[in-house]
Amino acid sequence: MATTSELDRVAMVVLRFMRRPFFAIVGVYAVGITGMALIPGIDENGDPEHMSLFHAFYFFTYTATTTGFGEIPSAFTDEQRLWAIFCLYMGVIAWLYAVGSIIRLLQNPHFILALNEHRFAKIVKRLNDPFVLICGFGDTGSLLARGLSDQGMRAVIIDSDPERIKALALRDYSMRMPGLCADASVPKHLLDAGIKSGHCKAMVILFKDEDINLKIAIIAKFFNPSIQIICRSTSARHQAHLKALDNVTPINPFEIFAQLLNMAVTSPQLHNLNSWLVHAPGVSLGRPLKVPEGHWIVCGYGRMGKWLNKYFAEQGIHATIVDPHIDDIPENSKVIREHADHQTLLEADIENAAGVLAGTNHDGDNLGILMCVNALNPRAFTIVRQNDHENQLAFDAAHADLTLQSSLTTARRILKFLISPMVQTLIDNLHKSNPEQTAALISRLQIAIGEHSPQLWRINMCSRETSAVCESFEKNLSLTLGDIIRDPHDLENTLPCVPLMIERNSSQLVLPENSEVLQDGDEILFCGTTQGKRMLLASMNNPYTLDYLLTGKDPPRGYFFNWLSNKLESHAA
Amino acid sequence: MNLERVIFGFFVILALTLNVMFVMGDIDNIDHHNVWILTLAILISLCTTGLKLGDRSQIGALLLAASLVADLLLIAARIVWIVAENETAAGPGPESIAMIVSIAGGALVANIISCIIVIGDTLMSRR
Repeated sequence: MATTSELDRVAMVVLRFMRRPFFAIVGVYAVGITGMALIPGIDENGDPEHMSLFHAFYFFTYTATTTGFGEIPSAFTDEQRLWAIFCLYMGVIAWLYAVGSIIRLLQNPHFILALNEHRFAKIVKRLNDPFVLICGFGDTGSLLARGLSDQGMRAVIIDSDPERIKALALRDYSMRMPGLCADASVPKHLLDAGIKSGHCKAMVILFKDEDINLKIAIIAKFFNPSIQIICRSTSARHQAHLKALDNVTPINPFEIFAQLLNMAVTSPQLHNLNSWLVHAPGVSLGRPLKVPEGHWIVCGYGRMGKWLNKYFAEQGIHATIVDPHIDDIPENSKVIREHADHQTLLEADIENAAGVLAGTNHDGDNLGILMCVNALNPRAFTIVRQNDHENQLAFDAAHADLTLQSSLTTARRILKFLISPMVQTLIDNLHKSNPEQTAALISRLQIAIGEHSPQLWRINMCSRETSAVCESFEKNLSLTLGDIIRDPHDLENTLPCVPLMIERNSSQLVLPENSEVLQDGDEILFCGTTQGKRMLLASMNNPYTLDYLLTGKDPPRGYFFNWLSNKLESHAA
Repeated sequence: MNLERVIFGFFVILALTLNVMFVMGDIDNIDHHNVWILTLAILISLCTTGLKLGDRSQIGALLLAASLVADLLLIAARIVWIVAENETAAGPGPESIAMIVSIAGGALVANIISCIIVIGDTLMSRR
């Protein structure tokens, strides 16, 4: 069994290390005790006497461990003292050797590794709530773990960098997240991390090396064919490979990043809504960024710059590209093959530029570009790419109009995918449809939620949470969406929540009308305040409240009052 | 106004007041505790239980439970009274009376809980 192999290994290492010291101690004890028992002594009365084996053992024990109780049971003869000296040195040396071996064993890196693996496997085995397995604890991985912790979900983490695993132990997550410093592409470590466990809900693979990612995904599929896998992949070849596997989602940080950037530039309202839904700091709903049209300067023409230039071209925005390494020259764009600095920015006509994108893959360069732009044209709209999460404070101080961080956008997208995959469908849908729909949704959310922090939750029609709804389905009552979100305190109003989407028989209904009739098995995604969520669940769980929402009348409760109201009604009729 | 709330509220509060009437006074003095009030309290408490039968809401379930506790304890107190009836010429002796009153005191707690739930539920609904 693979899971017990760590224990075997630990036991084996201990035995191998302790074998020699053990034999040394046994040998020294045997010699010392035998000698002590054979050498004749004299008792108090001067009669000759031999020490018993038990007394000899007792004497040797306190002598070898340097405790030294003295000459017991009676004073020694000179012969005995001579042997006692020999015993003392032999015993102490044997003990020092044994203790030294134990300490050496405890410091042995292989032993520590085996012990850690064993401990980690034991912790993971004992977990009895759902968890996400994260392979790779870099910027994206740690942001993802933070997000999961905020949502009250556990993560199990594997990374081969010991520094990162040490850092993991110092984070203040809402729950303990076990971490193992090991190579995740070794199948044994995946098993230790609970890949076969029924509690393992999903696996996220975030290593830089795409071959390793692919290998891990395939191994994981062999161990647990039903597991959901999200795998970082930037090359088309690997993506094609991953897509062929069942229930695997390749995720490309550059594409996500460019999509978001494109959304920020081309549909700022939707970008505003999206940032608000993911609780991005400093975002208030209904105040989108105003991205100016005109002449843009794009510094850095890598994978991301290419995407953006494509989107810009579609929008009719002309950009000047500044990058020392441009392999294919895009159409209709001015190109400067230099590093972006004071001189080249002037050359790119910075003084008349509407906006600048600092999108190189070096944070130092990007910050430098921002500084030049601030000096040359402070009115220009600035978008900056932050590569390293550690530089957060520097970017905060730089006050760009929009700071986009690849690891953060990727982590948020994965989190959305894990927690509420419906939200991304909604955003994609809104992106395709006309902007009026987004504007209408935003104004509706503003009215319903106002300045409160938005909560997203999904409710399954007819589950334990919604027992009253189940009852009305059984009675074949027609229940509309507008009925269930009505405010029980004021039937003219609705609760502070907005239904965003209905998932019904694997088809999706985006932004359903209030007149939509609910069906058994519907999954509804709501956005609203915490109080709205509580009230909504309360009315869906209490048959009397639900009845009141439908009819506007308080139904009689209990057999007696039912009987009474029937009597009164028949009298009236 | 809702007829159901009036009737139910009446019975819950009446059960509480009768219970207080019985329990008040020295715990071992038979002159302070009237067996008629105890019997009436049992009757009203049983009525309250009957009115809550068939309510499927969570609060209804809790009220039913509380009122069942009150029934049980009051009936237990009445049974002790019957058993100890002939201890003295006036009725149960001081020790039995103390026991009866303390059992009824337990029922009082259940009745207070019922009352708090009814008031809380009414305030919560605000309509």
